[in-house]
Amino acid sequence: MHLTEEQLNEYLDEATTERAQIEAHLSSCEECAARLSTLQNVFAELDSLPELELTKSLAAPFTLHPSLPAQLPKFLTLTAFLQAAVALVALIVAVPFASALLPQIELPSFTKLFFQIQTQWTVWLDQLSTFNLPTFQPINLPTLEMSSLLFTLAGVSVLWILGNGLLLRNQMK
Amino acid sequence: MPTDRDLILRARRGDAEGREAFGELVTRYQTSVFNVCYRMLHERGEAEDLAQEVFIRAYDRIHTFDIEREFGPWIRRVAANLCLNHLEGQKVTAELDDERDADSAQLPESVQEIRERSEQIRGALASMPAHYRVVIELRHYQELSYEEIAEELKIPLSDVKSHLFRARKILAEKLHASN
Repeated sequence: MHLTEEQLNEYLDEATTERAQIEAHLSSCEECAARLSTLQNVFAELDSLPELELTKSLAAPFTLHPSLPAQLPKFLTLTAFLQAAVALVALIVAVPFASALLPQIELPSFTKLFFQIQTQWTVWLDQLSTFNLPTFQPINLPTLEMSSLLFTLAGVSVLWILGNGLLLRNQMK
Repeated sequence: MPTDRDLILRARRGDAEGREAFGELVTRYQTSVFNVCYRMLHERGEAEDLAQEVFIRAYDRIHTFDIEREFGPWIRRVAANLCLNHLEGQKVTAELDDERDADSAQLPESVQEIRERSEQIRGALASMPAHYRVVIELRHYQELSYEEIAEELKIPLSDVKSHLFRARKILAEKLHASN
């Protein structure tokens, strides 16, 4: 009676309680000893397999930081402060002009404009009801003073410079 | 040098420093994890991709890792399982890799012989069904007991033994034939 495959495998895996009996059998049975030797060779072959090296590091996705915005050049950093300073000066300079110009500027009244449009619309409707071709009557738009345009432009410029300076300052952090 | 446990605790923070700490763990275990994948798949590119996947999944689940366990054996078992799932999901067997260098002719004869024999062993492993490969991997390279393999693969103990013994028999025949 020869040893089973299970007995031989469990013997080599050191997972049997029949160790003494198996060894006694192996010492007297050449066939089972040969089968064990074949199995031992498989163990040895598997053990002989060398470890291979990686061609790339697998740690890269964990060690590399996500791409941050590139550091701004030094001159741009200075420009940001310069822009903020210029904006402040412009604001200070603009204040007296604004206080002097504001009372002179005749801002268009929305209510007045709306009233004009409404009146015009009523006139058109009247004309349509009489089946006469409507006659064009130009709307009197409020005239804008050059000073008010300049003041608006200056205000927008100051806001743009100030905003730009603040944005650049945030990027520098 | 920080221990694996220290690195895992730092990695759990989930911030940039935590990622760095996990990167250190990857550096420590990437070769052994890659070799698990390579023994199972026998294709370098695929093995590297799977090994990377193992670490990405491990990082995502780092909060659930039992800090009292050893990280190395755990990550290698995860790798074996992932490779098994990968192989079972494959319908067509991928073309196997030939690890031999192009300039192997210039190597000493003994080194060439070792390389060729390694290739034969890897080739024999790769020719077997996935569930045979994984029990060989877990028993011979990760030194798990029959019971541990059964628990890891969630299969009966009798299946572990039959797969393992059958796999060894096939390997013996293939390796004997290639001699």
